[in-house]
Amino acid sequence: MLAQVLVSSVTAGAVYALIALGFVLIHKGTGVVHFGYGDQVMFGAYLVLISQVVLGLPFWPAVVSALMLSALLGAVIYCGFMWPLRNASLLARIIASLALGTVMREFVRAYMGPNAWPFPFLLSQTAVSVADMLVVPANLAIVGVSLGVLGLLFLLFEKTIYGKAIMAACDNQVGASIVGVRVSTVFLAIWILASVLATLAGILVAPLLTLSPDMGLIGIKGFTAAILGGFNSLPGAVLGGITLGVLEAIAGTYISSALKDMISYSILIVVILVRPQGLLGGLTIRKV
Amino acid sequence: MIPRLAIYIAGIAGFFIAPHYLAEYHLFQICLIAATALVVLGLVAVTGLAGQISLAQSAFVGLGGYGSAILATSWGVPLWASIPLTAFAVAFAGFVLGQLTLRISGHYLALATMAFTAIVQLAFIHSDPVTGGAAGMPVPPFRIFGLTLTTGRHLYYVILPATALLFLLVQNVMQSRFGRALTAIRQSETAAEAMGLNVLRYKAMAFAGSGFLGAVGGGLLASLSTYLDPAQFGITQSVYFLAVAVVGGMSSPFGAIIGSAMFILVPDLLQSFQSYLGLVFALLLLGFIVLRPNGLASVRLSRYLNLLSPRPAGGRR
Amino acid sequence: MTDALLHVDNITVRFGGIVALDKVSLDVGRGSIQAVIGPNGAGKSTMLNVITGLYAVDGGAVSFEGERIDGRAPHTIGRLGIARTFQNTELFGEMSAIENVMVGLDRHHPYNLAIGMSHGPGYRRSEIAARREAGDLLALVGIADDAAVAAAALPFGKQRRLELARALATRPKVLLLDEPAAGLRAVEIESLNLILLNLRAEQGLTILLIDHVMALVMAISDRISVLNFGRKIAEGNPDTVRKSPEVIRAYLGEKGAHALGA
Repeated sequence: MLAQVLVSSVTAGAVYALIALGFVLIHKGTGVVHFGYGDQVMFGAYLVLISQVVLGLPFWPAVVSALMLSALLGAVIYCGFMWPLRNASLLARIIASLALGTVMREFVRAYMGPNAWPFPFLLSQTAVSVADMLVVPANLAIVGVSLGVLGLLFLLFEKTIYGKAIMAACDNQVGASIVGVRVSTVFLAIWILASVLATLAGILVAPLLTLSPDMGLIGIKGFTAAILGGFNSLPGAVLGGITLGVLEAIAGTYISSALKDMISYSILIVVILVRPQGLLGGLTIRKV
Repeated sequence: MIPRLAIYIAGIAGFFIAPHYLAEYHLFQICLIAATALVVLGLVAVTGLAGQISLAQSAFVGLGGYGSAILATSWGVPLWASIPLTAFAVAFAGFVLGQLTLRISGHYLALATMAFTAIVQLAFIHSDPVTGGAAGMPVPPFRIFGLTLTTGRHLYYVILPATALLFLLVQNVMQSRFGRALTAIRQSETAAEAMGLNVLRYKAMAFAGSGFLGAVGGGLLASLSTYLDPAQFGITQSVYFLAVAVVGGMSSPFGAIIGSAMFILVPDLLQSFQSYLGLVFALLLLGFIVLRPNGLASVRLSRYLNLLSPRPAGGRR
Repeated sequence: MTDALLHVDNITVRFGGIVALDKVSLDVGRGSIQAVIGPNGAGKSTMLNVITGLYAVDGGAVSFEGERIDGRAPHTIGRLGIARTFQNTELFGEMSAIENVMVGLDRHHPYNLAIGMSHGPGYRRSEIAARREAGDLLALVGIADDAAVAAAALPFGKQRRLELARALATRPKVLLLDEPAAGLRAVEIESLNLILLNLRAEQGLTILLIDHVMALVMAISDRISVLNFGRKIAEGNPDTVRKSPEVIRAYLGEKGAHALGA
């Protein structure tokens, strides 16, 4: 029984991990906490819908179109809002990211209606019996894609010169630009990457949650996962996501299913208070 | 600079004259603006003045609304008493929430207050027997001195004086040593601490204040709407209040009034665009935060009505 | 030795693997002006931050007027009578100069929240008294004319003086100064020297300062302690320290010291 719970929970965990990856990418990269990221995940899924309804594309081409549109969206967000606000107060930047998320949510509510849309799974939804446990191929796809994305990001950052340039720019903007790395280009690349990631996450999550303007609330779960793993660590994001998925499933089974969400949010507060650097992050010291 | 006394006299005169010339609908709107302004004033106090990011305001509003309604329905405490009583309790909750600031600030504080709001909303939805669950609960009518006040015209005589009083108190605090201390803390916690200010206690008190004002506003809004729906007390609404504060201007209490007036009157003018309202507000917020982060209250107009001590050049956020 | 106003007893401070201070002791006598000098990274600011409660000690103790203060909150330490200025000015930028100083006077002209809300009896009296005392302090450091100017708008030299006035507003028994002369011109350093000497002479104020600028340190200190790599390597009056071989070696390195014939 416990094993079944754990296996099912890995799906949720993988979703949280994917969203957390996007958060951490933006934060580690540009120092911005994008409070509207959850809404961007939701918007990404809607882009598929919009491509189908407005452009008349069949499903898979619509997915491709959505991914391309979200890359464009990432560029617009960076150039139009994040770069102009790079020296603004912390409050202004937090509000700006909240506002971006709200704009996306309200846009979708106004033009696509407030009701939920069904969204197709990428793979079959019927459960398959493997070693005495039920496994759903669609869920496997989610886990597979998450791990795949992590693997690709790992390769990018550890093995290619572009990835190293990005990490350099994140660590020390001045130093990196002296060495010839164009910091603004790096940040642009990060925003585009994270936006595409958001759409990917949206496409995977939408079938599970059904697509609605309020689907963006999943962002908080992504936050919790990111913080659990240490807000600056990419592997931590994945670890955090899976941990959160498992904790949630256990709490849901043994404590109460209705209170599952409340428990997740409480975990967030507890982690922030007790160990804000997460499981894998390191401490920072402020010099006076 | 127009003498302060003249403003007060004009205000009081306007208060009594207005009901003779305005229809019920407009008086209702004025009440709505006043109650919303109270909620936003709480946000101006904790975020604008003390510099602590709070997305908990809609939770305080909900707690104020539900608390006063439940006290009235189940314990027979009349609303004129249950609203302030609840407000003090919510202020205490705010004080406890403010203790979080010992450990966290900035992004993490925004997140923690977001989580708090989400938890409170879920509590409203899952506490069926007490709160009516997801369907919500009705709010008993406002009774005072044997009169039952149900319309905007009636509630006007309670809501406006209450709002004016609370605004006056907050304005006074901002011009006292407490306002000075909070402003100092907003700009450099380290220096404030070194000078003997108990920074944690001040920040927690600011949260308590935002809780009190949010709860009073919530109780009054509940009386106006006569129904409590848990869907109204989520993170989206916290962002809405933040938007009102940003657009109105967070450095002055007057901003809460300007912002509330804008956000309540504008939908009227856009009757045919009801479904686009949320989008318009969100775009407004985005536009203001990028182009005019100080909001509307920083415009010259406010110099005459802003009763804070004169600010020399160079003193802007 | 424990007669000293401020007694730092064998403190050790570690940040992760780095030892910032290694069993450092220091005594500051009442009414004296003492300096702590040393190359960059020697641990001087760390020591100041430990005394004022911003950092915790991993070993040793700090006492003030005979009572232990290590481990206590910074605002409590501030209230006991220890005031400080900061290396990077931490002024309240948007507030005017006089308002900055008035924040320091907060404790000395109090009134409760109820009066704060109502502006009742005592409010005006306290505010006027606080404003007057703040004005006097601004005059003491020579920036009385800039009372209404926003702190962030002041030129650097005046900002440093405002920091001093603000620290003095808390009516401290001991004043800790973190690189007060950094970035000041010779003329400004002269007037700073005079102000500090006056404060000691007229108010019996005890001063502990950190700095690199010898024009300040050598001119007014009774006693100088030298730190290097977190350890105290020399201590004494200005002459002794100036001639100490360890100090010369610390600042100029082996070769330089050798060249000087030390």
